[in-house]
Order: sequence, then structure tokens, then C-alpha cells
Amino acid sequence: MIELFHIWKQYQKPFWALSDVSLQIKDGDFYFITGPSGSGKTTLLKTIFRETLPTEGQILINGINILKIHDSRIYTLRRTMGIVFQDFRLMFHRTVFENVAVPLQVIGVARKEIRRRVFNTLQKVNLHQKMWELPSHLSYGEQQRVAIARAVVNNPEIILADEPTGNLDPELAYEIISLFKDINRQGATVIIGSHDRELIRHFGDNILFLQKGKIVGKEGRA
Amino acid sequence: MIEKIKFFLTVTGNNLWQFRTRNIFSVTIICLSFLTVGIFISLSNNLRATARELASNMTVAFYLDRGTSAADADALRQEVGKPAFVESVRMVTPEEALEKFRRSFPELADIVTGLKANPFPASIELRVNSKASASGEVVAFVDSMKTRPGVTDVLFNQDWVEKMQGFSRLAGAIGAFMGGILILTSFFIISNVVKLNVFARKNEIEILRLVGSTNLFIRIPFWLEGIVLGLLGSLISLGLLFVVINLFPIYLGASLGALQELLSFRYPDLTQAVGLLLGGAATGFVGSATSVSKFLKV
Repeated sequence: MIELFHIWKQYQKPFWALSDVSLQIKDGDFYFITGPSGSGKTTLLKTIFRETLPTEGQILINGINILKIHDSRIYTLRRTMGIVFQDFRLMFHRTVFENVAVPLQVIGVARKEIRRRVFNTLQKVNLHQKMWELPSHLSYGEQQRVAIARAVVNNPEIILADEPTGNLDPELAYEIISLFKDINRQGATVIIGSHDRELIRHFGDNILFLQKGKIVGKEGRA
Repeated sequence: MIEKIKFFLTVTGNNLWQFRTRNIFSVTIICLSFLTVGIFISLSNNLRATARELASNMTVAFYLDRGTSAADADALRQEVGKPAFVESVRMVTPEEALEKFRRSFPELADIVTGLKANPFPASIELRVNSKASASGEVVAFVDSMKTRPGVTDVLFNQDWVEKMQGFSRLAGAIGAFMGGILILTSFFIISNVVKLNVFARKNEIEILRLVGSTNLFIRIPFWLEGIVLGLLGSLISLGLLFVVINLFPIYLGASLGALQELLSFRYPDLTQAVGLLLGGAATGFVGSATSVSKFLKV
């Protein structure tokens, strides 16, 4: 369970990127955070994977206050998560296989097992035939699927995706969110930051609406 | 663990290849630095060995006055032979001295052939045993003999031993100084090359952090990179040093004439060679580690 208590975040005075945000996300939830650009979606996601520290407030993940984890131990938190960025953040001089294998190499999984798991994951996102290609040779949608494969390859408990369909055409966007939905059905908690209202209306179980850093509405269990 | 080691080695290999131009540049600088150190080490080795050779073979020659009678010369010979440090004493007649000169300097033989009289005086040659070679007792004895009637001059090769030891120390000091400066330069170059590599891989480092890498996991490939660069540079410098040692007498040795003996090189011994290699690796590691800890805030 992810619990946020009275989160405030200020990058620059007098503006608040997040103002008194409190929420609870249960294990296995499929959760959308939405709002216009600058509403605080990315900041909120960043605080959950501790890329950014809130100015005030507390965040508990499975009962552990993640703000109290020492910097040198953040990796323990990140290993329970899969993160997908709008800009993909792929290593463009490494093959698709190498990109997806990274989270497994980091935890010292045996090479044979890495091969098996990467292949299976790439099969799920329908990219197994392009395993040895460089990301730069792939289309935009394919690159996004590589980023998703990397996020899910080590079966994380939580998946965070920041505008994962930001630059995709509607058809491809539906395909990508369907993929997240599949992953969610297998037990992972999925939190997606998106401003695509059509998409959210179609898939959204739980929706949190943000505006200027404040919660302005909730739907479902949100 | 083995998987992680394999991973680090693969990443290090890939990175070394990816930025090969700047890596070759840093290996060249390290190589030149360690070659300089190596040259001075082998030069110093030669001087030290020559000094040791002279010290273990220390002789003193007492040149006698031409008017010294055979009985006085014999008395002096007996007196010279008394101290415990004396290994052997030998009387050298002027004829023997002339013959020895002819044998030692055949190209100058004509000069002495034309002379009416033998210019060489008789002398007593004393060989000091190796244990006492440069002791104060020997020096005091030689000094006391200098003033003895019948002794006109004394040739004592301890001066040469001291000079050789001095040259050896000087070569070592120059080597340490120049090598120190050059190794420091190598250190900064490695540090900057690794810094550039860190910047070039900023995106990759960011990704590694986000997928749960430990700080150590991110740093190890950079450390290995520094160690490999340093090791490679010092290894090549050792190879070049052996080439220099072999080629030097062929191309430059003859032109140095009498100085050839002093300015020749001796191979570094195993400890020195291993020291150079470890020095290279250490320079690489420290250069890289400084850069990584300074510019990689993980």
C-alpha cells in the first residue's frame, strides 16, 4: 500500500508544486493521476520513487517511511518499482535486449535466467523479434514498449509511468495502456500520470485530479 | 557474484572501446610517464651495480719513490700486509706496470715504446677483503700510509665507489622527481578522461540509479576503467623500456665513448617491474576514483 500524508513540495518560492496532497493507493490498484501541464503529476510520481524529496509530509510504502531511507539505501526501494518515463530514457548505444536486461543485471541474476526473462518480457510487448536491434532503429511506440519491458522485467510490485502515451497516436496509446492493464491484472500496482482525458475515461478505475498542485477531484477508490 | 563480475568486465570493455580515442591518449601519457621512471630506474640500477662491483673489489696502490731500496720496499710491503682486512699484497715492479699498461691500452702502446726510461714507479698493490671494503679502518690506514717515507702517491678506488653511489642516488632522485611530475600529470589526465566518460554516460548512470543500482555497482566499471588504463600504460612502458635497453648500446652507446659504462642500463628486477605495473594500476585507480566521487554524486 502507498500512503501519502499531507505532501507539500516547493521548488521555488512562492509557488507550490504540491499542496497538501494526501492519498492512499491499495495493492493491485490501477491508478491514474491527471491534470493539465504543471499540475504536479510528475512531481507527485517523483516523490513516490524518491527522485524528489517533499518539502513537508510523509510517504509510506508497505508501512515503511521512504523519506527516512538513507540515500545509500534508496536502491532497495527502487528495486520494488518499475518506472516508465515520457522520454523513455533508453540507452541508445545498447541493444533492446541489453536495455531490458539492466534491472536484472543490477540484482545479479544469472545470465541464462536473464536471457529467459528478457525474452519472455519482450514477447509480452511483442518486441522479441527486435531483441538485438538498437533502440534508435525502432519506432516511437516500439521504444516506449522497450521502456515498459524494462520496467516490468523484474516483476516489480509497483509500476509508475509518467505520461507513457504523451507523444503517441491514439491507437498506439490504447495499446500501451492495455499493456499496463495486463501487467496490473498479474498483481502489480500501476500508477500512471497522464493528461489524456479520453484514455483515462476509457481505462480509469481510480482517478486523481490535480490542479496547481492541489487535489481537485477523485473518482473510483481514489 | 560471478555474474556481476562478468557484467562489470563487459561494461568496462564496452566503455573502453566506445571512448577509445581518448583512452588511447591517456594510455600514451601513462606509458611515457612510466617509461621515464623506468629509464631512470635502470640507469640507477647500473650505477648502483657498478658501485657495488667496485666496493667488492676494492684495491689500494701505494706508489713508491724511485730511490726506495729493495729492503725498504719489502719492509713497507710487510707493514702493508699486517692489518686483518688485507686479503692480499703484491709488489708490482716498474716493468710489470709497463706491461700492464701496454695490455690495458694497446692503442697507446706506441707512446711508451718511444720513451728512453720506464715512466712507471714500483708499487705495492693491496686488496681489501669484501667485508671491510669501505670501512673507516681501511680509510684511516690508507691515510696513515700516505705520509710514510718512500710512498709518493696512493690510488684508492673508494673515491670511485662513493662517486658511483652518488651518481646512482642522483639518477634515482632525478627519476623520482621527473617521474613524480609525469605520474601526477597521468593522474590528472586519467581523472579528466574518466570525468568525460562519466559525463558521456550521465544518461546511463541515471537509468542505473532508477532501476535500483547501488552506488558501488555504478562506480566499479569506472574504477576498473582507470585500473585498466593505468595497467595498460605501465605494461607498454615496460615493453618499451626493454626495447630501449636493447637498442641503446647499438645506436647511441658507441658515441658516448668512455661514458658508455656509466650511462648504460640494467633491466629492472622483478620487484621494480611489478612495482611499475602496480604503480600504473594505482595511478589509474586513484585518478578514476577521485573523478567518480567528485563528479558522480551517487
